[in-house]
Amino acid sequence: MTHVLDAPVVLAPRRRLGLRLPIAPWLYLAPALAVIGVWIYWPLVEAFILSFYQWNMLPTSTPRPVGLANYENLLTLPEMRIAVRNTVLYIAGLLPLSVVLPLAVAIVTQDLAGPLRNLYRSLIFVPMIVAPIVAAVLWRWLLAERNGLVNQALAALGFSDVAFLRDPDVALWTLVWITGWKLIGFSTLLLSAANASISPAYVEAARMDGATRWQIVRDIRLPLLSPTILLLTMMTILFGAQWSFVYINALTGGGPLKSTTNVFYLMWEYGFQSLSAGWSATAGVLTFAAFGLIALVCLTLMKRMAVYDE
Amino acid sequence: MLRRTLLTLALAGTLLAPLPAAADMAAEITEPVTITFYSYNLASAGLGKETTLGLVNDFMAENPLVTVEPVAAPSNEILSRVQADIVAGQQPDVAQLVFRDLIYAAHDLGAQPLEDLTGDELTRHSEGMVDNGLELGRVDGKTYGLAYTFSTPVLFINDDIFRAAGLDPKTPPKTWAEVKDAGRTIQEKTGKYGFFPGAFGPIDGTFVYQSLVMSNGGRVRQGNTLTFADGDAADAVAMLRDLRDSGAYADIDVASHMDTFAAGDLGMFLFTSAVASRFEKAAAGNFEMSVARMPSFGAKPTAPTNSGSALFILSRDPVKQRAAWELMKFLTSRHAYTEITSKIGYLPLRLDIVDDPAYLKPWVDAHPMILPNLEQLKNLTANVAFPGPNYRQVENMMKDAAAEAVLGSEDPYAVLKAAQERAQPLMPAAD
Repeated sequence: MTHVLDAPVVLAPRRRLGLRLPIAPWLYLAPALAVIGVWIYWPLVEAFILSFYQWNMLPTSTPRPVGLANYENLLTLPEMRIAVRNTVLYIAGLLPLSVVLPLAVAIVTQDLAGPLRNLYRSLIFVPMIVAPIVAAVLWRWLLAERNGLVNQALAALGFSDVAFLRDPDVALWTLVWITGWKLIGFSTLLLSAANASISPAYVEAARMDGATRWQIVRDIRLPLLSPTILLLTMMTILFGAQWSFVYINALTGGGPLKSTTNVFYLMWEYGFQSLSAGWSATAGVLTFAAFGLIALVCLTLMKRMAVYDE
Repeated sequence: MLRRTLLTLALAGTLLAPLPAAADMAAEITEPVTITFYSYNLASAGLGKETTLGLVNDFMAENPLVTVEPVAAPSNEILSRVQADIVAGQQPDVAQLVFRDLIYAAHDLGAQPLEDLTGDELTRHSEGMVDNGLELGRVDGKTYGLAYTFSTPVLFINDDIFRAAGLDPKTPPKTWAEVKDAGRTIQEKTGKYGFFPGAFGPIDGTFVYQSLVMSNGGRVRQGNTLTFADGDAADAVAMLRDLRDSGAYADIDVASHMDTFAAGDLGMFLFTSAVASRFEKAAAGNFEMSVARMPSFGAKPTAPTNSGSALFILSRDPVKQRAAWELMKFLTSRHAYTEITSKIGYLPLRLDIVDDPAYLKPWVDAHPMILPNLEQLKNLTANVAFPGPNYRQVENMMKDAAAEAVLGSEDPYAVLKAAQERAQPLMPAAD
């Protein structure tokens, strides 16, 4: 009996505490949450709403609700199909340049002696700090038909001119190369850092067991580098196509014959070239949904596949 | 709730924006006033910018109460710039816009119809101006844009390449059939490029494309119905495709067509006469250049359309409107056209100054290359702008389809037809 009577007396202060305690952390978080809300989630919601309207962004015109028409339109437009296919090609083309090549460079330069190693690495890093638009102009000159250095070199080797930016079959790969060329330095830097932090004890132990260089790379370095490799892979998949935007804009404008356009360039074209805010928002929402899903898959895979040195 | 918030925001925007002009333009300026002038000539390097700034300064010297603030933006960005500034609450006063934005400027940007604003002042000012030119700025019978700087497509010819191919540059091709023959001869005998039309690609060439379509008797639209894939319009595009398949058409990067001609690698180049002075400089000492009228489809008369721009009054303030109108009158005066034609290379919209020794005659005598262009002014045909909120999207789809029809490998008629069917729903309902 007393037990029952006592119970509420004991519980009451606990409940009051339970209400009071969580306020403080939320208060600390409030400024950050407000900023994220105002600058990220609110625009996201607005873009979602805008995707059901037709509007040319003028304050003098009222957005006109069009229901699902924007989605129907975009999903049936051949240029959207081409853009999606190209986006996949960009990502697939970038992966060797942003992951495989830097990995090889990082592992090979690891074995080089001191000053030489730094020289190689800084040389590889230089493209990263060149302004993208400068890189675009530079490559336009290098790849020019007839008089460009690259074509002159090809001619000297007995090959015929390559229309790097004019041939629809080549243009996309030209832009993939330029985008990747900018990224190699960054990826190499990350992978070299990860490689350097692998404890030498493992390598020593493996050597004593008689492991060859290749065996050390395959069984020790690669597994321990896997978190960084997976991170770079995920970044390339999620952002690779966006990184090529500057070069598309400066070099091809999505052409020739739409062969170099991708969903991000298309979004920009709708928004700022043809002033169709609704179309642009719709493309944005579709891309967001698709890449959101891909990001989830990537994160799950990363958790499963990465090996951590604990 | 969210939807309502957005609509409220949009509505608030509508209310905050200045209402359509009801007030009359001021009769004169009695106090200092500042107006903005959005111009893409100001964004070009060299003479285009210097000449325009010079004219603005001349105007301010004559009208000490008016200060003009020049705002420069490239031609493909000027509309976005004007629009962004309207959104930001900085109402532009005078803007130089290209003709593709004409209907949009009149219906959505709130450009003022000059007849309503200035009354018979417009009639008096436009005396001596080319009628065809004035017609270009009209929407539904009212003048929203006053024709300003423009030019027509002409055929630039590299005389040296012609002679090397055994052709006579003094009798340039007059029809498309002759262009095809000449182009193939050049390709076969000299290894240089034959012919290229500046109709597609990142440098806007829609006026070249529309000139071709209309010279063949086609139209890109009839009212709100798209017709760019129909009959004569599609035949004009198919003609270019035939040129390409025959080898007469230069296989070059569409973004570098001007460089290719300037480098002396291209025999014939159909493009705006506004680049004539640039080519003259490039050709000097390298090759001999001449200019001919645009070729025709057999015996059909050509319909050269304009590239270029008109001036629009966007101001809502009566005093600023007066200042804006005075600036517009000054920029389209005899003095201004003498400067614009002789220094930048655009056409004079006042033909009476061509034979006037006080104005343009000495310059025309020294630069006979302007003559084919002047002759074409007589059959100048208005570049067709698209109506409705999706006008740019529709125009892009048409341009992309035309480019694909010429440069791609599929049947040109089928490509155009498919694009037209996709674009038609984006046009305003048929009238």
